Amino acid sequence: MRWFLRRIGVSLALAWIVATIVFMTLHMVPGDPAEILLSTGGVAPDPAAVAELRERLGLELPLMTQYGNFLLGLTRGDLGVSLVDEYPVLDEIALRLPRTLELIFAGTIIAVIVALPAGTYAALHRGGLFDRIASGTAALLLAVPVFVVGTVLVLVLAQMLRLMPAGGYVPFAQNPLQHLTLLALPALAIAKGLAAVVFRMTRASVLDALSRDYVRTARAKGISPTRVLVRHVVRNALTPVLTVLGLHMGTLLGGTVLVEYVFNWPGMSTPLLRAVEARDYPMVVGIVLTISGLFLLINLIMDLLYAALDPRIRTA
Amino acid sequence: MKKLWIPGAIVALIILLAVLAPVLGLPDPVRQDIANRLAGPMDGSPLGRDEFGRDVLSRLIWGARTSLSVAFASAIIAGIIGTAFGLIGGWFRGLGEILTVRSMDIILCFPPVLLALLVVTLMGPGAGTLILVLSVLYLPGFARVTYAEVLSARSLDYVEAVRALGAPTGRILLRTVLPNVAGPVLVQLSLAVASAVVLESGLSFLGLGVVPPAPSWGLMIRGARATMEQAPMLLLWPCVALTLTILAMNLLCDGLRDAVDPRTPATRKRFRVVDRLLPGLLPASAPRTDAVLDVRDLTVEIATPRGAIRPVQGVSLAVHAGETLAVVGESGSGKSVTATTVMGLMPPIARPVEGHAWFGGRDLLSLKEPELRALRGGPMAMVFQDPMSSLNPVHTVGAQVVEAIQAHQKVSSSEAWAQAEALFKRVGIADPAKRLRVYPHEMSGGMRQRVMIAMAIANRPKLLICDEPTTALDVTVQAQILDLLNELKRETGMGMIFITHSLGVVSEIADRVAVMYAGQVVEQGSVAEVFSHPLHPYTRALLAAVPEGDEPPQGIPGIVPPPHAFPVGCRFAPRCKFATAACTEAPLPLEEIRADRQVRCIRWHELTSTEAAA
Amino acid sequence: MNAPLIEAVGLSKTFPGKGLFRKGKPVQAVKHIDATVARGEAVGVVGESGSGKSTLGRMMLGLIPLTEGSVRFDGAPMEKASATEWRRLRRRMQIVFQDPYGSLDPRRRVGDQIADGMKIHGLFNAAQREQRVAELLNKVGLDPTHAQRFPHEFSGGQRQRIGIARALSTGPEFLVADEPVSALDVSIQAQVIQLLGELRRDLGLAMLFISHDLPVVANLCDRVIVMYLGRVMEEGPAKHIFAHPVHPYTRALLSATPMLDPEKRSKRILLQGDPPSPSNPPSGCVFRTRCAHARDACAQAIPELRPFGDGTARVACIRAEEIS
Repeated sequence: MRWFLRRIGVSLALAWIVATIVFMTLHMVPGDPAEILLSTGGVAPDPAAVAELRERLGLELPLMTQYGNFLLGLTRGDLGVSLVDEYPVLDEIALRLPRTLELIFAGTIIAVIVALPAGTYAALHRGGLFDRIASGTAALLLAVPVFVVGTVLVLVLAQMLRLMPAGGYVPFAQNPLQHLTLLALPALAIAKGLAAVVFRMTRASVLDALSRDYVRTARAKGISPTRVLVRHVVRNALTPVLTVLGLHMGTLLGGTVLVEYVFNWPGMSTPLLRAVEARDYPMVVGIVLTISGLFLLINLIMDLLYAALDPRIRTA
Repeated sequence: MKKLWIPGAIVALIILLAVLAPVLGLPDPVRQDIANRLAGPMDGSPLGRDEFGRDVLSRLIWGARTSLSVAFASAIIAGIIGTAFGLIGGWFRGLGEILTVRSMDIILCFPPVLLALLVVTLMGPGAGTLILVLSVLYLPGFARVTYAEVLSARSLDYVEAVRALGAPTGRILLRTVLPNVAGPVLVQLSLAVASAVVLESGLSFLGLGVVPPAPSWGLMIRGARATMEQAPMLLLWPCVALTLTILAMNLLCDGLRDAVDPRTPATRKRFRVVDRLLPGLLPASAPRTDAVLDVRDLTVEIATPRGAIRPVQGVSLAVHAGETLAVVGESGSGKSVTATTVMGLMPPIARPVEGHAWFGGRDLLSLKEPELRALRGGPMAMVFQDPMSSLNPVHTVGAQVVEAIQAHQKVSSSEAWAQAEALFKRVGIADPAKRLRVYPHEMSGGMRQRVMIAMAIANRPKLLICDEPTTALDVTVQAQILDLLNELKRETGMGMIFITHSLGVVSEIADRVAVMYAGQVVEQGSVAEVFSHPLHPYTRALLAAVPEGDEPPQGIPGIVPPPHAFPVGCRFAPRCKFATAACTEAPLPLEEIRADRQVRCIRWHELTSTEAAA
Repeated sequence: MNAPLIEAVGLSKTFPGKGLFRKGKPVQAVKHIDATVARGEAVGVVGESGSGKSTLGRMMLGLIPLTEGSVRFDGAPMEKASATEWRRLRRRMQIVFQDPYGSLDPRRRVGDQIADGMKIHGLFNAAQREQRVAELLNKVGLDPTHAQRFPHEFSGGQRQRIGIARALSTGPEFLVADEPVSALDVSIQAQVIQLLGELRRDLGLAMLFISHDLPVVANLCDRVIVMYLGRVMEEGPAKHIFAHPVHPYTRALLSATPMLDPEKRSKRILLQGDPPSPSNPPSGCVFRTRCAHARDACAQAIPELRPFGDGTARVACIRAEEIS
């Protein structure tokens, strides 16, 4: 329990550090953000407009006051308003975050369901036909960038074969079937890299577990092979798989941005990319903080799962 | 090494093309030619033209140049700074560690693409921004890898030896530690390059990386997407180029990692939970014997990359009820292989090719796996050397004992736990009810070995095989375990095989002893007889090597031969001071000189009589 | 006996506990230990895991910093030595390790590794160094041509010989041997013990021989120090202590050591349980929790190491007279 509280404390501290770094990068960058924002095509902006924007952004206040206001806003969930359309950043995120989460969730589930059994089977029959085919496929999947897979899926399945829609989004409540059809391709694209990683790790750690002394002990007890496999091999192999899953989440979150773009999935990436191009600072900061927070949260959950799986962590 | 060849050649070719791009005589990759917009293959443009009429092949090769220079520049910058950070942090620890390594962890709190987007927002897109972002992103990887390697190197004996020799810190870091770190850093470098190519193309694809019209694979895919209905081939070329490059780099990384990591999978033991295949021998008739286990002429063959070896050859052993047989020998004598084979626990590459192992009227070596499984942990059980690695770290010790009970007895769960508690009490674990719910890492070595013993005796075995059960323990704890095993044997009347390398332990625990050398039994008999009147020169030499009393111990010159170089004749002859030409000519039989006394030496009689005369 | 070559007074070593957020308990590896080794003398340090014997050896070589106490080498306190003095000191004391596999750099030829010490200290020219490497290999019973080979080409016993040759390369006067034979097979173990004994005689080396094996120490050493949980339990002439142990721990240790000869076997004294953790040692006498002779008084104060009997041995037990 104390371990649990300490781990949550660490996550909160990291979240604070992330927020501080984002704030500092914003204010350390050379040039006046207001000026940069208003200058279009090298034309010097109207000084009055710049001053007005500075006032609105609170840039006139001392740095520490700005920092304090920023943190205070964060604790209240206030992320400011978009510079482009003055729409509250939080509202935009609240609308789009669930869609991104749905995508990540679906991708992860697909990846784990496919890769875990496949990796175990490949390890048990190491060097066999299935192992060689699956390992080769995993290497290939790992090599194709997520946006290439997405683009090719759209080209082949949607443009050439006309089997699937090229992308888009329909709310689940409006048309569940259509919603799931549209979800399938982007979820698959997200699952591909993760599946390859989970497959490789599962295979390696099952192989490792098989050669352990405690598996020999289990066999020496005379228990059935299935029980040896489930309780002693796979159970112990899960911990490294989970670690890799956690490490890969960062890449996955980044991949989501690309996948949403390719499939026109209206998640967090659309406003993010728009905001990056328009240099809409509050929007970029809000979304980066949200996704980083999500990343920290996922890692926290992974660590807790890790502790649940491995008793040595709990007492360490 | 073969694994490195093909991907290495592909990567080298791509790098070569990228480097030579300016001198290959390619058309200008940015010159637009709207007239030939989306043109197919044509003269001077074998892959056709893109949406602005630019040459696709030229853009592909120049794109490689862009991608690779960004990737290499950032990986090398990150590599140099990160490695330096890791070296400093790992060697000096303390504040240096916090500043150089721990601080890096903050970068890992950001998903990579997000951090890149944040920086692009602030600095605007472009190759310079990309290099900056990517180097920052890969910094923690290098710092961590180096740090971990330096930490492990610090505790290596040979690094401490150089320190004891008085080498200055700089020399130690550069000459001894850095070569240690070089392998993993090289792997990390190739990983970073591959990953940088992916990230660069991804950002360029979003229009936030390399600035148009500069050629880049990501930008090419972005452009081709808009026209993919008219010209799908335009999409294909950069996709193939990108995937092939990353695939080759990944394979190169894997190959490098295997080459650097001494634990390459190829040398790891092969093992499958499928039933073992056994040679289709005709069942021999069980001998009339009152022995619990009677091993006759056991030969084990192991298939290795260097050919088949026979680490155990013609071994015969018997153990009776209520008796302890010690099998003693140095490493490489085949004592553990013998026991593991009898239990049917050898990996499939090792198989008994000759002999029988009679146990209760059945030949263990010809039993199928399900039949063997019914015996293992039931009538015959085994205790292993290292109680830490032999217990599963993720289950409580109680659950592991209960598992053994329920594998052989049809009892309810609560009954099994009650039995386990009684067993814990029997093997001398204080507060058994509480200790059942403890995990192996929360116990001491001696306690863990008691758990292993409880597990082994759970189903009242007739035969207990102990494979060096006390080698990993302290002397005072060893004494406790030996006492416990002796008591259990007396109480239950089981037969016990005790494998050890320590003659002192043999003398303490065993009734009879079999001395093994290089895969054979060289002498067998009662402990009292063998130790007071050893017949085989090896037994004598072994006894003289034990440091006990005032005489300095006498070493045996030379080393135990490895299994692929066993001598033809007497295997001890090359180290034996009594060896003659006759000893090396042909394999020697194990001679039965009287009931329960065997020796494998052609000169034993001669040697004992000359000694008696002298 | 000669004047002490190395003299450690009141040595203590505390390792900080591990953990970033919750500091683990500090581990007291060594507590208030005095040890001296005279020129040409072999002193054995005996103890089980966690007794602090290896830590003691490394502290006497200055390889790990002292928490408390001081070490004098040839009369001069080592902790006051300047960097240049340290370089000179390093030549005069060396170490041989337990693990024959980890103690040699797998990437470098053994000849180069043996020559390292001479190179670092700028001894001899290249040709002389080569000559000297050949001599050293000869001295430890290896072929001089072996200098060109890599460590993996040697067996465990041969590697241990190479480690000894490396330690001898700078011409040391003091050698710490940290369990040099425990990883070796019996027949090879005896070879290395023989070699160490010869070297000691021929070179007049002072030696601190760390081991968990009492018979080996009794055989090779003049004096023995018995350690338990970072403290000295008993100390004295090796043969004497082996024949007449006084401290209950020494007796238990000796009786637990498996002996070949049933007549040498003393009555088995079984200790209860395992040694306590060095991060949480018992109060008073650290051995009292496993001692059959323990009384309430044993928990009160830490027993001092005092002369016993005719004064040749020293014992840290308040009940030594009663129980012997």
